[in-house]
Amino acid sequence: MKTIKSLSILWITLLIISTNSFAQKNNKDIVDFKLKNVDGNFVSLSDYPDAKGFIIVFTCNHCPFAKLYPPRLIDLNNKFKPLGVPLIAISSTDTMMYEEDTYPNLVIKANEEHFNFPYLFDEMQVVAKNFKAQKTPHAYVIWKENNQWVVKYNGAIDDNGMEPEKVTESYVSNAVYELLANQLVKTSETKSIGCQIAFRRK
Amino acid sequence: MRRFFIYLFMHIKLVIILVFFFIAHKPIAQNIQVLKFDALKQCIYNNSDTVYVVNFFASWCKPCIKEIPEFVNFAKGIKNSKIKLVFVSLDSKNDPEKLLKIIQQYSLQNVYLLDETNANNWINKIDKHWSGAIPATLIIKKGKNKKFIVDAISCETLFKFTK
Repeated sequence: MKTIKSLSILWITLLIISTNSFAQKNNKDIVDFKLKNVDGNFVSLSDYPDAKGFIIVFTCNHCPFAKLYPPRLIDLNNKFKPLGVPLIAISSTDTMMYEEDTYPNLVIKANEEHFNFPYLFDEMQVVAKNFKAQKTPHAYVIWKENNQWVVKYNGAIDDNGMEPEKVTESYVSNAVYELLANQLVKTSETKSIGCQIAFRRK
Repeated sequence: MRRFFIYLFMHIKLVIILVFFFIAHKPIAQNIQVLKFDALKQCIYNNSDTVYVVNFFASWCKPCIKEIPEFVNFAKGIKNSKIKLVFVSLDSKNDPEKLLKIIQQYSLQNVYLLDETNANNWINKIDKHWSGAIPATLIIKKGKNKKFIVDAISCETLFKFTK
């Protein structure tokens, strides 16, 4: 009787462990997307066959916290695109709430700020949901593993939004350097203030 | 002589404590106090009977400002009760003009400005599932989180969760 009891406990534990690890795996897998860029063309991850990874930044025009970052996004793309890790910015804001984030306004913003990376319009908010992006700016570093895109970092771009000159930790940059060196990402998740991406209720 | 020194010492100590208090709670204006996260924690997490409703907002956050009238109505309904409404502004302390205007416009009470540059150091201490998106409202009972809503909130919901 005792052995049956302990065996059943063992099975239940194993079951819990296995379902948990499956859930985690599904959480981290990213599905490729196809979104309209500010230049009128559509962009997918598969358009970059040589990319080792991507820096994906959910951002937008209207959010004052996101407005602090365009120069730093340009720098990140300058630094990492040549190393096979391009940056892609995505706006998933509900345009019913913010006129500033409509497609024509994204085009204007990208031109004004001289974006050197795609700025994609996630009109249906599906990509933000897939990434579980919750605010702007919300950065992700995804990496190619066995032909799958896996999230390796998510959170803040760095540790000081308001004063770029006082940044002591560039989280995204550090994560990409670690991945390029085949190392584990030491800080794989961080938190920062941002504007909520309000998902439209169906 | 010795007594004199003891008195002197006590006075100096008092002055130091007072100075420290003012440094820790620098008021920018009458209704707003600048503080670090640890000081905020002491204000909202304690064992008293008071229920704390803590609204995290910023003057630059549109949906946050839109929901302020809900909090104003809620504040009217909780007078003489053991519920305390607290606003935590995530604005920059170097640029409080817009915030001061909002405080004045709605006559907000109990406004704290959080003096932290790296949100990664404190967000998890509020709720480890919170990404940092605002508006967000926290309800604390007896030093423990009772409800945390990362979205705009209505006056009715506030009453429901503080009952």
